[in-house]
Formats: sequence, C-alpha cells, structure tokens
Amino acid sequence: MARIPNKQVVQELKEGNPLGCRHLIGLYQEKLVSECVTVFNLVLEDSEELVSDVLLTVVQNVHDFEFKRGDGDFHLWVLTIFRNRVRDLARHQAITAGLVERFEEGDSDDGQYSRSERAVIDEIVRQYQDSLRDERSLDEGPGSGKLRIIAETLDKMESWERVLLRCRALDVPYEDIATYTGKPVKQLKVYHARVKKRFVKMLTDNHPEFVQRTTGTETHEA
Amino acid sequence: MKHDPVDKLIQHAYLEGAITTRKAYEDAVAKRNIAVVLSEEKRIALERRLEQALARSHQEKVPATVGAFLQKVKAEQSIKAQEIFARVGLAPNVYRMLEHDRISPLKISAEAWKKIRTLFNLQTDELVAMVRRTHQLVFFRPSFRTTLARYDAKKNKGMKASTLEKAASELYSKARLDLPEDEKEKLEKLLKSIAAGK
Repeated sequence: MARIPNKQVVQELKEGNPLGCRHLIGLYQEKLVSECVTVFNLVLEDSEELVSDVLLTVVQNVHDFEFKRGDGDFHLWVLTIFRNRVRDLARHQAITAGLVERFEEGDSDDGQYSRSERAVIDEIVRQYQDSLRDERSLDEGPGSGKLRIIAETLDKMESWERVLLRCRALDVPYEDIATYTGKPVKQLKVYHARVKKRFVKMLTDNHPEFVQRTTGTETHEA
Repeated sequence: MKHDPVDKLIQHAYLEGAITTRKAYEDAVAKRNIAVVLSEEKRIALERRLEQALARSHQEKVPATVGAFLQKVKAEQSIKAQEIFARVGLAPNVYRMLEHDRISPLKISAEAWKKIRTLFNLQTDELVAMVRRTHQLVFFRPSFRTTLARYDAKKNKGMKASTLEKAASELYSKARLDLPEDEKEKLEKLLKSIAAGK
C-alpha cells in the first residue's frame, strides 16, 4: 500500500473524516509499539496502551497542529508526544517499581565495567529515582536535573563519540550515524564499546564522590 | 535489542530532555521496519476509540463558516453590517450573501479577505479554515437540497425550510466533502493568495 502523506492525514483529521483515524493507525500503531518493545524494553501490554494514548492525544489536538517546515513536522510532533508518554511511564515505573532494579533486570553488562564504574552508574540512577520520588508533588520538571551529568559528560567528548553514544542508545542504525559523523560503519561498530567505556570512565573521574558514597554505604552496611 | 546500563541511562536522559539526537532518532523511527505485528481486532478497537474521540473533538473545534463568524461578531461587538462592508470594500448585496453563506468565497477577492483578516484580527489559519469550510458548504448545498427535497417529496411535504436547512447542516457536518479537482485548485489558489499577505 502506498504511504499516505502526513498532510493528507492531518487534513482528514481536521475535517473530522474517520478515514484519517485509519490512516493514522496504519502509519503509527505498530511502528510505535515496536519502538516501545525493542528500544525502550516495555512489555507489550503497556506498549499497546501507551501507543493508544499517544494516538488519542494526536486526534484530540490535531486542530491546533500546523505545518511550518514541511510534511515531516507531523512525524516530529507525534514522536514528541510519544517521547513524553514513554517518559511519563518510565517515571511512574521508577517511582512504583524502582529504577535500580529495572537497570539490573536483563543487564547485558557482561563485566564490561569495573566495580567503581558500576557504582557511579548505580548512584546516578539512584539519585534520579530519588528526585522523582521527592519532587512527585512539586510538578516542576522532576528528574531531568539529575541526568544533566550525562549531558555534561557527553559534551566533553568528541562530537562523533557523542553522536555515536546518543544514537546507539536509541538504536539508530550505524549506517545513519556514519552519515552524520563521516566515520565508516566498521569503525563505529568497533569503537562503540570503547567509547562507552571511556564515557563511564569520565563519569567516574569527574564524580569520585559517587564512588565514595556507594563504598561508604557498603562499609556501613557491612 | 539488549541495552547495557549506559544505554539505559542515556535513554532516560533523552526522555527527560537532558539530551537530544537532533532528529536522528525521529528519522530512524520513520525508516525502521515494524518489529511487532498486532492483530486486526486490536487495530479495529483502536480505530473505534479514535473515531469517537475525533467526532467529539470535531464537534467542539469545527471552524465556523464565514457567515456564522460575521453574524457572531456583529452580535457580540455591536458592529453594523454597513460598517463592515464599507471597510472591507464589498458591495452591500455581496456582503449580505456572505453573511448567510450564500456566495462562494472564491467570488471575493484575496484583497477583501486580507482586509477581513486585519479588521477582525484573525490568524491566517483561522481565516483559511473558515474560507475552506464555507466554500465546501456553498459548493455542496445544491446537492444537499436535491437529496433532501427528494426525501421531502416522498415523506413529508409540509417540512419547513428551516427544518430542511437544519438537516442540511447536519448532513454537511457529517458528510465527507471532497471537492472536485478543479474546485480544489481554485480554492487553494485563493487560500495561497490570502496567506501570501501575512
């Protein structure tokens, strides 16, 4: 089936034409559920519910949507709604089920990181989780502050390394990253693990207090 | 795909807006193959849910016709029709037809539409939506009338004009109104001219 242009879908929805719903579902339902499951490791049931909410929000707010640059504006808008919904679910899970536990579930670390490096990662996750719990009632953008350390550390890396780490965490294909960075695919594949390791080392070097805090806790508990 | 703790941490930073991929992720999603195939029942269930939401939202947000808008403004702001048609440069009879959605917006010049936009401090998109809807209404009104008149002749000869008009409006709001290509072209040309003078 030929792909329906976004402009047509938007116009149908704005006119109240039910065909727009069918086209929207055809374009996004399975695609976004796939993202939830494969990229964000959500269970299928939660993913389906989340995507239904995303598409419902699109339908309810399409009257206020406007194309400014081109046909791709709509896709970016849908993906922004999607990102916000995934974030809300991730926050909810962090508050109710605990994020540290989720990080340990299905962990594919394979001993790649040293004990102190792991401790730093765990401490950042714990702080982020605590900030969500603390600020739950404050409604002033919880969580993002605690993750600014990630952005700050990435900013200290070379541009291609930064792009590689950001994009691979979201499963952007190596071929696309090669286009953005100008580096060959093979080199990116070889260097990915090393760059990741370097990133963790930088985090550990820049934040020794995280290691001490974790070690201190362990000593105290012992 | 399996993600290690660093990937997960970066994902959370992305979700919280602490970092961005500068559209790289969004572009990748657009190109990606579907990994999870859902059943037809699930698709239909969502379709029903969306259609209901769309119907509700459309009823609330559907743009007014130019006529409905002019009548509302006249009533709310106590402006005389005379004042309006003089300021936008329309003949009185043309204005009266416009106020009752009896004339196609295509018969009004882009310049006059721009003056209407300025006079009522309208957003271009708002005006464009009203012009589009009015044109559809005017274009399809004869078809509605013919259909409804046929029904009228068979079932209820005493049906009043106002009832017929109400039925036409209901039919219009529910019908899918695809203009013929030449009409679409003419309308888009006018809308472009209106938008050009932002």
